[in-house]
Amino acid sequence: MEGYGAFLIFFLIALALASVMTILNDILGAKKKDPMEDYPYECGVPLYDKEARGNFKQGYYMFGLLLILFDIEVAFLFPWAVVFKEIGLYGLIEAVLFILILFLGFIYALRKRALKWQT
Amino acid sequence: MIIDVLIALGKIAVVLLVGLGLGAYLTWVERKVAGHIQARMGPSVVGPFGLFQPIADGVKLVTKESIIPRGADVPVYYLALILALVPSFLIFSVVPFGPSFTVFGREIKPIISDVNIGLLIVFAMGSIAVYGTIFAGWASNSKYAFIGSLRKAAVIVSYEVVLGFAVLGVILIAGSLSTVEIVNSQIEKGIWYIVYQPVAFILYLFCMLAESGRVPFDIQEAEAELVTGYNVEYGGMRFGLFPLAEWYLNVVGLSAIAVVLFFGGWSGPHIFGPLSPYIWFLVKTFALVFFTLWLHWTLPRFQAKDITDIAWKILLPIALLNVVVTAFVVYLFS
Repeated sequence: MEGYGAFLIFFLIALALASVMTILNDILGAKKKDPMEDYPYECGVPLYDKEARGNFKQGYYMFGLLLILFDIEVAFLFPWAVVFKEIGLYGLIEAVLFILILFLGFIYALRKRALKWQT
Repeated sequence: MIIDVLIALGKIAVVLLVGLGLGAYLTWVERKVAGHIQARMGPSVVGPFGLFQPIADGVKLVTKESIIPRGADVPVYYLALILALVPSFLIFSVVPFGPSFTVFGREIKPIISDVNIGLLIVFAMGSIAVYGTIFAGWASNSKYAFIGSLRKAAVIVSYEVVLGFAVLGVILIAGSLSTVEIVNSQIEKGIWYIVYQPVAFILYLFCMLAESGRVPFDIQEAEAELVTGYNVEYGGMRFGLFPLAEWYLNVVGLSAIAVVLFFGGWSGPHIFGPLSPYIWFLVKTFALVFFTLWLHWTLPRFQAKDITDIAWKILLPIALLNVVVTAFVVYLFS
């Protein structure tokens, strides 16, 4: 109960609490509907598009790809950091080589201008 | 067994009451701090020093009409709130508030779930929390909300990596991912890890501001251009919940983790009697929260592309270097 059991209980309680807080306005709020009240915010002018979710230029998809690379690198290094004092020199050299290889990849991305917003 | 469950429930109740109470009252603290920074009074009408203002605000927000914009994706619209709130609560499950003590021969640890992957849970929750923002922008069917959530995604994509590398140094020195053990190793060595890892602390501070959407990294809200960004189509209590989760619970949670990692957790001189570990922990946490508020009301904000530039081109190489240097030093001195 000190470990994951308590975490599960906390998760369920947080879920219930968040759900209640979310629907509080549906229960306690006024019910009178106004014809224009659900109009999406657009500075008072008529809607330009009915649907806001169209094609969009997002400019940073390269970061998304690089995130996968570097986040997995961190995920690999967490267990290494925990047992570092036991594995000694071997672990140190292995990890430094690993970081070095990925750092070369980082420099490659930098020189290819992948770290700029694609305009 | 039953007693274990009851103890767990008791701890959860205390954490939730303290967390939500502080979250509500941080709105008052923030408005007071902002007021005095900008040579205003801040809230001062409701109750002495405006102390009842959060209650008045809460009652007002709760009794507002529920308005969902036309064309909104209703299930996702609700799901976004839950996905923003639940992770910011769950960060507190691995925060150790003090040393373990004994009541009636039973050892009680003032932490909800003492697992050996505590820090990983913090990062997981930080990553899940961003879905709340993105779903909110997507479901609202409004361009302002949509742009705000896309910007937030860019920021998180950049700072997640730096955050992971920044704390690696502390894990290398402490040799553990468990929050309790990190604090204990600092108490054993009699030194705070900020002395060994000042660079990592500054990197962590950057990531904390970015993850919780505080100035100078608050482009997802950017009042001047996007009104309030991703939560512009939310009204009533739902409008209140997003800042509660992002600005208050997340900032307090991440500050508490920073105290655990860099400021020795609950360690401090015993000058407040038996409660002193808890008081020291809260004092350190709220010193960091106050620092965040101070930045928020003093600095201007960056553009989105500058924020990602800072993360990838400056912070990431520094963080990598910090990890390698720390590894060498730890190897030489162990």
